[in-house]
Amino acid sequence: MRHYETTYILRPNLGEEQLTEIIDRTNAIVTNDGGSIICLDRWGVKRLAYEINKESQGYYVYLNYAAPGSTVNEIERIFKIDDKVLRFLTIKLGDAMNAEAIEAEKQRIAEKAAASVALSEDAEVDEFDSETLEDESTED
Amino acid sequence: MSQPKKVFSRRRVCRFCTEKDVTIDYKDSKALRNFVTERGKIIPRRIYGTCAKHQRQLTEAVKRARQLALLPYMGATQF
Repeated sequence: MRHYETTYILRPNLGEEQLTEIIDRTNAIVTNDGGSIICLDRWGVKRLAYEINKESQGYYVYLNYAAPGSTVNEIERIFKIDDKVLRFLTIKLGDAMNAEAIEAEKQRIAEKAAASVALSEDAEVDEFDSETLEDESTED
Repeated sequence: MSQPKKVFSRRRVCRFCTEKDVTIDYKDSKALRNFVTERGKIIPRRIYGTCAKHQRQLTEAVKRARQLALLPYMGATQF
């Protein structure tokens, strides 16, 4: 079993039922192959940086899972056929994944989620502003 | 003999080496936006002094973010 994460973009105008159907179908592919889902995150509708298939918005879904490599082939095959899926990206995070590692990963994600909630309350300011960039580029 | 123009040489150290808790993640488009120009080009490491290892990770992250339409291939980054 390997550790993967897949982010995919669906058309924004599908409606809750169709969205849920596609997400459930994808999750079913993972679990049917003996894999396990670590984290499913719906980012929701976001503005795209450029148009994809005439759409300027997209519904982002993030899926973190442990599964054999053939699962990825199957998921991507289905995504390519389905024109409700605008874009997908799968990244391999780790080569070996056992039950312990899955638990550890779940815990890590839970901690990170808790941390990001705390961070958004603080409302931090970015260190890099455009002014310093201009100053430094003239030095070269 | 004229003095050569004094080159300003503040030691710029890699941001990701000094702050260990800052991770490079293609999903974090807000953070990546600091490392591309207004037109969407990746800023070279001579500007920020990012080390080779982290610049490589950064480049990879920006390219992944572009595939997912989180960052533009070209054009305005603010939208």
